[in-house]
Amino acid sequence: MKPLDVVWVGLGGGLGSVLRWWIGSIVGERYHGEFPLGTFLINISGSFIIGYLSVLFGVDWHHRYGAALNALVLTGVLGGYTTFSSMQLDAAKLAGKTRGGLAATYLLLSVTVGLFAAGLGAALGRAQG
Amino acid sequence: MIKIVALVFAGGAVGAVLREVAMLTVPNLMHGFPLDILVANLLAAFMLGFVTALHIRRTVSDAVNSLIGTGLTGGLSTFSSFAYGTTVLATASTQGALVAFAYVVTSLVLGYIAVIVGMKLGAWPPLSSAGQN
Repeated sequence: MKPLDVVWVGLGGGLGSVLRWWIGSIVGERYHGEFPLGTFLINISGSFIIGYLSVLFGVDWHHRYGAALNALVLTGVLGGYTTFSSMQLDAAKLAGKTRGGLAATYLLLSVTVGLFAAGLGAALGRAQG
Repeated sequence: MIKIVALVFAGGAVGAVLREVAMLTVPNLMHGFPLDILVANLLAAFMLGFVTALHIRRTVSDAVNSLIGTGLTGGLSTFSSFAYGTTVLATASTQGALVAFAYVVTSLVLGYIAVIVGMKLGAWPPLSSAGQN
């Protein structure tokens, strides 16, 4: 890992995390239902954008470090913006309130819609590329 | 407000760099199974459960919760790489589709277990038996 890559990933991860916190706050102010809508919307939009940009940047997702743009945007911003841990915590909290059905629905919906969004983003990237 | 932004930024930056370290040091399993992202996500899920439980019982402050809970674990874990990596695997070959399926199931099941274990550990020992009032 080059020292500069660390700077780009860190900068992107910080910016993406602040964006996640900010959008989460906005959604939380307007929506008060039980469904973890903020994290859901963040993860789905992030999945769409990573699919789109990965194709556009023309990188193999497994070997994407090295280039500053990939380090900053894909690993940094989008990795910091989306979250796997909050999704699991949201589900565990719902299950703890005896809403196990909703927790399972939330996890399955996040994955299926997330995969669809990533595929859709990649298809859009290929159509443009 | 500015303080929260600074804490979330700092935590997210450190978390993302830790994820990059995982990507460079954790080997991938056979057939392209993304073990690096799985390790980062499981570690983050465990840490988030742990810090959340400590925050609920006020063992850690709001500031530490913003730094670690919102920032670091969110930066360390990633849903976008998880989702995109799965679609790339799943569309590569029949074998890739099976690996992708195994990746999704292990991520969801182990991730859920990790957050629960973290929460239990953070909530232990119970406040009443710990002699605190």
